[in-house]
Formats: sequence, C-alpha cells, structure tokens
Amino acid sequence: MKRGLIAATGVAAMLVSVAACGSGDGDDKAGADGFKGETLTVWAMDGSTPDGWTKDVKAAFEKKTGATLKLEIQQWNGIQQKVTTALSESDPPDVLEIGNTQTPSYARTGGLAELGDLKKSIGAGWSPSLNKSAVYDGKQYAAPWYAASRVVLYNKKIWAEAGLKGVPKTRSEFFRALDTIRDKTDAEPLYLPGQNWYFFDGLTIGTGADLVKKQGGRWVSNLADAKVAKAMDIYKQYQSFSEAPKNKDEATPQQGEVFAKGRTGAFIGMGWEAAIAVKANPKIEKDIGYFTIPGETADQPEGVFLGGSNLAVAAGSEKQELAKEFLKIALNDTFEGQLAKEGGVIPNKESLQDRLKGNAAAEAAAPAVATGGTTPLIPEWAAVENAPNPVKSYMTAVLKGTSPADAAASVEGELNKRLSQEN
Amino acid sequence: MKRSPLARLWPNATAVVLFAGFAFPVYWMFCTALKPASDIVAEDPVWFPASATLEHFGTAVRADHFWTLVRNSLTVTVSAVALSLMIALLASFALARLRFRGRHGFLVTFMIAQMAPWEVMVIAIYLLVRDGDMLNSLVPLTLFYMVMVLPFTVLTLRSYIAAVPRELEESAMVDGCTRSQAFTRVIFPLLAPGLMATSLFGFITAWNEFPLVLILNKDAEAQTLPLWLSSFQTNFGDDWGATMAAASLFAVPILLLFLFLQRKAVGGLTSGAVKG
Amino acid sequence: MAVATEHQDPGPAAAGVRRGAAPPSRTAPPAGRSGRGRRGGAAPYLLLLPALAATAALLGWPLVKNGMLSFQNLNMRQLIQHLTEWNGTANYREVLGSADFWRVTGRSVAFTGVNVVLIMVLGTLTGLLLARLGTRMRLLLSTGLVLAWAMPVIAATTVFQWLFAARFGVVNWVLDRLGWHSMADYNWTGGQYSTFFVITVLIVWQSVPFVALNLYAATTTIPRELYEAAALDGAGAWRGFTSVTLPFLRPFLLATVFLEVIWVFKAFPQVFAINEGGPDRLTETLPVYAFIEGVGNQHYGMGAAISLLTIVILLVLTSSYLRIALRKEEDEL
Repeated sequence: MKRGLIAATGVAAMLVSVAACGSGDGDDKAGADGFKGETLTVWAMDGSTPDGWTKDVKAAFEKKTGATLKLEIQQWNGIQQKVTTALSESDPPDVLEIGNTQTPSYARTGGLAELGDLKKSIGAGWSPSLNKSAVYDGKQYAAPWYAASRVVLYNKKIWAEAGLKGVPKTRSEFFRALDTIRDKTDAEPLYLPGQNWYFFDGLTIGTGADLVKKQGGRWVSNLADAKVAKAMDIYKQYQSFSEAPKNKDEATPQQGEVFAKGRTGAFIGMGWEAAIAVKANPKIEKDIGYFTIPGETADQPEGVFLGGSNLAVAAGSEKQELAKEFLKIALNDTFEGQLAKEGGVIPNKESLQDRLKGNAAAEAAAPAVATGGTTPLIPEWAAVENAPNPVKSYMTAVLKGTSPADAAASVEGELNKRLSQEN
Repeated sequence: MKRSPLARLWPNATAVVLFAGFAFPVYWMFCTALKPASDIVAEDPVWFPASATLEHFGTAVRADHFWTLVRNSLTVTVSAVALSLMIALLASFALARLRFRGRHGFLVTFMIAQMAPWEVMVIAIYLLVRDGDMLNSLVPLTLFYMVMVLPFTVLTLRSYIAAVPRELEESAMVDGCTRSQAFTRVIFPLLAPGLMATSLFGFITAWNEFPLVLILNKDAEAQTLPLWLSSFQTNFGDDWGATMAAASLFAVPILLLFLFLQRKAVGGLTSGAVKG
Repeated sequence: MAVATEHQDPGPAAAGVRRGAAPPSRTAPPAGRSGRGRRGGAAPYLLLLPALAATAALLGWPLVKNGMLSFQNLNMRQLIQHLTEWNGTANYREVLGSADFWRVTGRSVAFTGVNVVLIMVLGTLTGLLLARLGTRMRLLLSTGLVLAWAMPVIAATTVFQWLFAARFGVVNWVLDRLGWHSMADYNWTGGQYSTFFVITVLIVWQSVPFVALNLYAATTTIPRELYEAAALDGAGAWRGFTSVTLPFLRPFLLATVFLEVIWVFKAFPQVFAINEGGPDRLTETLPVYAFIEGVGNQHYGMGAAISLLTIVILLVLTSSYLRIALRKEEDEL
C-alpha cells in the first residue's frame, strides 16, 4: 500500500511539473543531457516490434534523450503473472505493452501510471475507438499503440467459378454472393463455426448492443437484450451458409487450414490467418482476397472487435519523465506509420491509415476501425472469456434452435457468477 | 533346458520393437532438427536426414543471451545437485544406520515432502523472495531446486547405505578407524553408484524447472535454458526444425549424463549379479 | 537407480530389494537383522540438521506462506499494491462447493489410476523381458529405455506435440498408411479422450524405463535356488513367477507404485503443455486446475487453497502405503 501511495503521489507531482512546462510535443524540454546514463526498460510482446521500427525508434530515442533503450521481448507463455509480479516489484519495467482488453484490469490495480498529460500533448488524433480501452474510470492509463480486426478472406477462384465480380458492399449483397456460390459451385460458401465469438462480439457492436449492464451496483448479463438477439440473428444467417460444427470455435480446426483445402468460398478471420492457409497449401496464396466485412448499408462497415495493444507506464517506475519521452517518440506519426507499414497493423490514428497501401489485408481491415469496439471494458470481463465461455454456449444453443431468450436465460447464472468474481 | 527357436525369437523381437518405441521420439527430435525445412513438412515423412543441415541449430544458438543461459543453467543445476547430495548423505546415514527417537517421524516427513506441489507454490515463494530482495539471483533458484530433489535423494541414498554390509564398516573400526573414517573409507566408495544414480534425478529436475525461474528472474541475464526453449515453442509456432534443434540442444547434456552414469550405476549392479 | 523401500524386515524379499537397489554387495547379510541399533545421542540429530533445516526453511516456510495465502483474497490488485486482505475460509468454501473441483478431482484420480496401472504393468513386463534377454539385446533395450528416461520433460512434450501434430505428424501418417484414413489430418488435441491419450502415451513412455530398469536390477538379485526349488516342486514359468518373483519384488513394487502415484498425480508440464487443459477445460487435472484458477485467472489465494487441498488428496491416496511403511519401521525398532 505504502509503495502504491508513493507512486500515486509521484504521478501527481509529475502532472504539476509537466503542466508547468506547458503542453506541446515536448521538444528539447528535457535536453539531450537530461537523461544521460539512464536506461529505460521497455517490455514488448513477441511479434509486436518489427526489426526496422525497433532499430529506428531506438536510435531516435537515444539521440534525443541521451539515455539507453533496453527493449525486452516478452514471450506469451506465462505473461500475465510475469506482468503482475513485475508491477509489484520495486524496480519494474518502465514501459509495458498491455493488451487492450486487459488494460482496465491493470489500470484498476494501481500498477499503471496515469497519462492524462500525455494524451493532451500527443493524443489528439488517436482513434476514439482505440483509445477507449486505455481509459479507466475517466482517467487515461495507457496510450493506444496498434490494433487488428477481422476481415473476410475469400477464395478468388471459387468466386470466379460462381461468376461473381467485385466484392459485396452490404450484408445483403454478401448473402446473395454466398447463395450464388452455393448454387453454382460445389464449394462450401462460408466457413463459420458456431463459436467464432469475436465475430459475434463485432456484430453486437454493430447493433449497438451491450453484453453487460449495471444492476444494483454490479455488472450482470445483458444477453436477453433485443439488440443482442438481433446480432445473434445476423450470426445465424451467416452460419446457415456453413457446414462447420456449431459447437466449435475458429481454432478447432484452424479455419485457415480448412480454407487451405480450396473448397471454401470465404471465412471471417484475421489477416494473418492467410499465412496458416498458405503454410498448409502454398498454392492457395494467389487465390486469397480480402474485403471489409460489409455492414447493413454501404456507407458503414460491420462492427468489428478491435484486438490491439496499448503502451503503459508502470506506476512504480522511477523514470516517469523518460518513459513519457519514449512514448512521444515511439508514437509519433513517423514511427507509428512505420509500424503500421512494416507490421501490417492498424495504426492508432485514422490519419495514418494511408501507410497501409499495398497490404491488402490491413487495407481491408482499416475502414472498420472507426466503428469498431471491444469486449466490455470492465475488469470483471476477463473471467467471462475463460473456457467454457458462457457466451459461446449461448451462441451454440441459439444455432441449434433454442430461442435467443431461452438461451440467454440458460447461461445467465454462469455469466453473472463470473462477473461477480472480484479481481 | 532347450528352447525352440520361436521361444528364443520372441523376446528378441519384442526387445527390438520396444527399443524402437522408446528411442524413436528421441531419434525423431534429432532427425527433424537436422533436416532442411522442405523435408520436415513433407507429405511422406523423410525418415533419415540425408541432406543434413545445421541451419536450425544456428537459429537456436543465435538467440540472445544463449551462452549466459547455458552458464546459468549449469551453475544452478550442478550446485543444487552437489548441495543436495552432501546434505542428503549426512541425513541418510543417520536414517539408515542410527537408531533414535523420532526416526520414523523424520522418514515420513521426507516421504510427504515429495508430494509438495511446487508449480502452484510459486507465488508464495515469489512473495518470500521478493520481500527478501533476492529477485534476479541464482542463489534462491539453487536453494529451491536443491530442496525439490532433497527428499528423494535422502530416501534413496538411505536404502543404498542400508545395503552396505555393516560388517565391512565394523571390521574397519576394529582396524582402528574412527566412525567417520570408516564411513569415508569404506561406505563412501561403495556408494558411488548410488550417488550417481540419485544425482540423475536431481539433474533432470533442476535442469527442467520452468515456473519458478519465470517469475523470480525476469532479468535476461539471470534466466535459465527452459525459458529459452519455451520461447522457441511460441516464437516459431510451426517451425518444428528450430524447435526440435532447441529441444535437442537442451536434451543433449542430460542424455549424455544418463548414458554415462547409468552404465556405471546399473552396469555395476548387473555385472555383480551376473557373476553371482 | 534405487527406490527407497521402507521395508526393513529380514525376509529374503526385503534383502533382495535392498541389494537390488544397491551396489554389488553380494555378500551383504540383510542389514536390519542384527538389530544392533546404535543410539548415538545427539549425533543423528546433528546429521539430520542440515536436511531438516533446509526442508523447513525452503519447503516448510513457503508451505506456511501458501497456507496463509489460502485464507486471503489475493488478486492482481492486492499483489501489486502489497495488500493483505484476509477473507477467512471463503476460498475453501468456494472450492469445496464447486462442482468443477470435484469433477477435476475425480478425473485426476482416474487419470492417475490408469497411468500408474499402465506404467506398472508395462514396466514390470519390460523389466522381466530385460532379465530374459542376452547381453547384446539387453544393452540395446536398456539404451532405448535410458534415452526415453533421460529426455527432459520440456523437450519431451515438445517432441510429442510434433509427433502428434495434425499435419505432417508422423503418428497420423502411420495410421493413414495402416489403412485408417480418417486419421490423416486428425486433430489429437480436439477432444478430451484423444488429448488424454497423447498425454498418457507421453507419461507412460517417460515412466516405464524407471520401473523396468529398477525392476530388472532387483530381479538379478533373486537367488536362483529359489527357482530351482520351485521347479522341483513342479512349478511352471507362471507359477515360478507368482510364487518366487512376485513375492520377492513386492516391497519394490509397493515403493514404486507410491512414487509413481505421486509423480503422475503431480504431473504438470506434460498435461499443461500438450493442450493447456483443453478443450474446454476437459483435460485439467488437479495441478493444472490449481494453476489455471490461481495463476491463470490471477486468484492467487484461491490457487493456494486448491494446492493445499491437492496435498490432502495425495495424502489420502497414499495413506495406506504410508501406514505400511510406518508399521515396518515400528516393527524394526
């Protein structure tokens, strides 16, 4: 507790001092010698930092601050406990990459420093849909870094076989295309197992549904809501084009591997899932195309779940200023654009999406960012997604013929139990 | 007693099948590690690495801090095993040779100590080590690994000591040796195979430990090889060549040690039996 | 390598085991027979002191700490802020009241039972086979056994994932070739039983060598006269086995079962690495359950409670052996 208080006081003091210097991008504020001899430790997840980006950011940071950047790549294996325990130590890593849906849980622990001033100075252009996860209880606890979302991956050869030209712009056009494939080819029009839950989450974002609601001061299930039922109905229509099992998710079997066999018209997945297909069947590479999941109308794409990462500063770090210097450099337009281009990820500002030119999957994903969302951004949500995820059970039940209301009622108890677990 | 050719054949045939079954996974690990990528993901398995390459081993060794991790792993493992042998030798001598109050209470303590669920005690251990300001050090790791193997070592060495004929020891004492001289000159040499055999268990346990080092030592300079091996599993996903190369490198020291020590331990034993 | 048999009575069986487990001490009379126990005053306690002190400090203390955590509400926030929040027996009440816990316990016990039976049967048969083989074949088979035995667990789990990989895995290829074509791209980690099958193959593969090599070592010390006597009585191979070999090896087998029960029940890396307890948490055994609830969900107090309950269950499972061992010790004094 003591340490937490000290950290909190430290942050408050920092807010004052930074405010006194005025905002702006902080050019030369600290001077090149201000941080000489210091080392800033940054934890990034395996796969997040492309080589060129890392090299250039390191060079720019060290040139500007005179400090040394120690970028430590973290493995996914056991990462949660590693981060939690690290934040409890007296010498934690200064800057950490944290998954966007996990950010609220960590923000609530008091382990992350508040970054309101940073948002003011460099965050004006951050996509609101991405920044949402970095805010907890009205305060900024992280900076959005990058995101990725689902797109439609389709087999151009099969679409040509069915005589289809161009890609659908609305959901009904998409359904008509799938109908045509069913009629004119022997391929499975769409591969969609019953528990592709992040696609369903996107649909609920599209219908404006909330999966949870507050009741008597605690979060409870809102699956019985009509908007959730409407999203589920859309999912059911999609699923009717697929022979995939209704009680499995997209990873069992890997849908990319199913697609690789070449008898699937399309599937809904992440851009990188194409690599799974290509690995299983290199010949399919030239046939893979991508498009944005079409929405109800042509002017707005379908809602999507935005998976992504934020950068946060540990509250216990003694190098708060230097950490913010790092964030200002790593997140500036040059490097953010470079990350998007090199890594094929969606950048934290919509204004930088032109850097994705040439990367078909990322280009298809980008338009949906503005209207995308996440899972409920409450610390309690994490427990819901532990297998067996009750929302997945709800989906399977509806797909197998239970009414949405009955299905919602049947998983409500389990869902509420998980939401009531203290974190 | 003459056996028909068939009766002679089946034990040998079974032995060959069993040998194949037990050795194949190990062979397949080395074989995959040596094959070029195109031979690894082949519709029909390539049974022998005809066009062998060291490329995957290169990838594995070039990982950051590799040699530091090798040094750390060796240091921690060897120290933990040496310490536990020393401590266990004293305790097992007392338990095997001396009679005293509470003896079987101690025995049961060690038997129950074998049941400790170390994987789920890591947070308790972490809190103790963190509050003792000993994170990122090889010392706590060594000590905990030592205790992980201590109960087994004590109990096993005890049965080895119990099997050394008391008369040998007593005649040494008649010849003027002190009790401790009798131990070092007579019992200890006879225990050599026992010490080797028990140390194998220690080596393999300490060499493999993952959950504790993961959260105690976050500083790359203080980590050990299991973390390196696990990074290959996730880094490369389906790159089985590099994963198998890393697994091979990780397994080789233990495999060699086993083949070497096991011959001494069981070999000595069987030669004795054959002669008898 | 030897197994600690807590069996000291002077029957031929016990002597054989201790000799089997020990260096070539052909002339050894059973050690327990003399009964000349030396009461050495403080000496035994001094000799035990380092081991006991180390165990108390490095195992006992964490266990006590673990026990304290089990009465606390310890989640991410409390851990990061160094907070201590006692919550009485809430963790235990929640665990013991959850159907999951009891289901996992039942599954763990069944899993342990199946594996230990397989390990003991196959290990014993392999050990007996070793005894029948000629020198060269024996060397070949023991080399294979030692290779499997010495494979570090983490390397072994990785290799087994590769062997059973859905695509390009050797196992599926062989099954396909043998005419079982539906296994061509079979996903072993897709179902509960198929996952358990892979885990069981892995654990049995790793554990049989220990049993087989030790059992073989033990059989080499069975006096041949016993078999000759049995043969004179008209006993065939099977009767020879049941009337001579089995009684002789009984203490060894008991001690090995005890160890294997502990090792299989506690097996964590094998179960976790193959499929992380999936699909749908259906292959979680107690240690994996404790790890996922405690460490994975970051409810550390809950994890501590489950881990202590795990020890209690293990004590119950092994209690009959511990009782036998204790009785023998008392007989001896």
